[in-house]
Amino acid sequence: MILNTTWHHIRRSPFQSLTAILVIWMTFFFGSLFAFTSDGFNNVLKNFETKPEITIFLKDGLDKQTVESIQAELSSYPDIREIKFISKDKALDVFKELNKDNPLILQTVTASVLPASFEVSANDPKVLSQIAQNFTPKTNVVDEIIYQKDIINSLLNWTDIIRKTGLIVISSLSSIAFLLIFAIIGMKITNRKEEVNISRLLGATKKYVKTPFLLEGIFYGFFGSMFGMIFATALAIYFSSQINQFFLPITFVSLDYIYYLKIFLIEILLGSLMGLLASWFGVRRYIKY
Amino acid sequence: MNLEFNSVTKKFGSILAINDISFKVSQGEFVFIVGPSGSGKSTLIKLILKQIRPTSGNILIDDVDINKSSSQRVEKVRQKIGVIFQDYQLIQDKTIEENIITALDIVSYPKADIPAQVDDVLKKVGLLSRRHLFPSQLSGGELQRASLARALSIDPKIILADEPTGNLDPENTWNLMKLLKQINLNYGVSVIMTTHNYEIIEAMGKRTISIKYGNIVQDTAIKKTKKSQHKES
Repeated sequence: MILNTTWHHIRRSPFQSLTAILVIWMTFFFGSLFAFTSDGFNNVLKNFETKPEITIFLKDGLDKQTVESIQAELSSYPDIREIKFISKDKALDVFKELNKDNPLILQTVTASVLPASFEVSANDPKVLSQIAQNFTPKTNVVDEIIYQKDIINSLLNWTDIIRKTGLIVISSLSSIAFLLIFAIIGMKITNRKEEVNISRLLGATKKYVKTPFLLEGIFYGFFGSMFGMIFATALAIYFSSQINQFFLPITFVSLDYIYYLKIFLIEILLGSLMGLLASWFGVRRYIKY
Repeated sequence: MNLEFNSVTKKFGSILAINDISFKVSQGEFVFIVGPSGSGKSTLIKLILKQIRPTSGNILIDDVDINKSSSQRVEKVRQKIGVIFQDYQLIQDKTIEENIITALDIVSYPKADIPAQVDDVLKKVGLLSRRHLFPSQLSGGELQRASLARALSIDPKIILADEPTGNLDPENTWNLMKLLKQINLNYGVSVIMTTHNYEIIEAMGKRTISIKYGNIVQDTAIKKTKKSQHKES
């Protein structure tokens, strides 16, 4: 019967109900899009982080002991993931692979002209910055340092901006959605004041009177978040091939259904909770017994 | 269900609505509360339902002071009272049937028995064919009967009827009174009815409490008791 009453309330003021669902839909639609974008940039960042992030080219003619001492020094830094030594011969192999379509260049280049190098990757990009800073003055052993600092910094900045923008937009939309549900439930209680009073006179408990309004809030939150997530997912999957093509070889838009299912469940939970809280405040504010 | 008013006074600001009233209604009694408009009849009904609180005195229902009771206890008491309001108090966007079902749901009436109970009370008040109509689609008399049907549906221990015949034609008035009398006699349900229709009071021959300016000016039960005491002496 309480469920019937809840449905009755929703049905009797369809435009208010639709507004509530739409505003939650909007919140969770943009929320999902920001989540997907943020995760996409994380994937890009991870990809860069797993690649050699700093390459130290060595001067020619260094003896084995000097090379080993450089390697030992590099190993002493914290959070180092991998140190790879690329000898002159190996550098030539890489060069050949990269220029296999250009036989003219391949003929002119030999191992002697390519420098040996260390490719260093770390878990913390700050360490790489430190390595670059410490090795740059060592001009007797270091020929050149190539550091992907700018790319990573730029990516970190972008991810940070997207997260912060997302947070501001989602917080604003959530606040609007919350206040709107609160106001709509308040309006509905005011419209149904007579019904509430009659029910109380007939002996209805507080729970009996309040529960339909709380369920109504949960209904808006549940369906609003569900539709928001469904639309955002559909949009992401629809454009996934174009977006992923652009970011190749990185998978920017995930195609793993478990990933979407997890977000779906989290958002539905959050949406329902938001609806419940907003209506709870509305009920507390407008039904006083 | 026994009801007792002990020196109850109710003031609305400086206006005295009820002044030091005391009376008792036992289970199965049929009592008229009579008086002109503004005499305090409806205030009495509101006090019984704890819609308002007395300024002083206490109201006992089954020996428990309703104004000192928890809200849960008040809810339980209200669930045993069938009320026929002067202004019907039907939920406007629910059909007559839905209004009755709501009342039954509130008192946790067994779900399986609800359809039969709804049929039964609608039949009693002659609104079976009107069950799917909304209150706005009914006449004043039909609304009064719908209100009665809702009050009867919960198998109440006591019926409070606030001017229930006010909007009825003579035929429906007598039908309603016949029905209330039957319920009172057959099921032992107490009936407290406010009215200013003296024709009904005389015809029914039941206990009558007359109120004027918030004071009890006559209680026929006391009169009878005094008469019998006088005869004995």
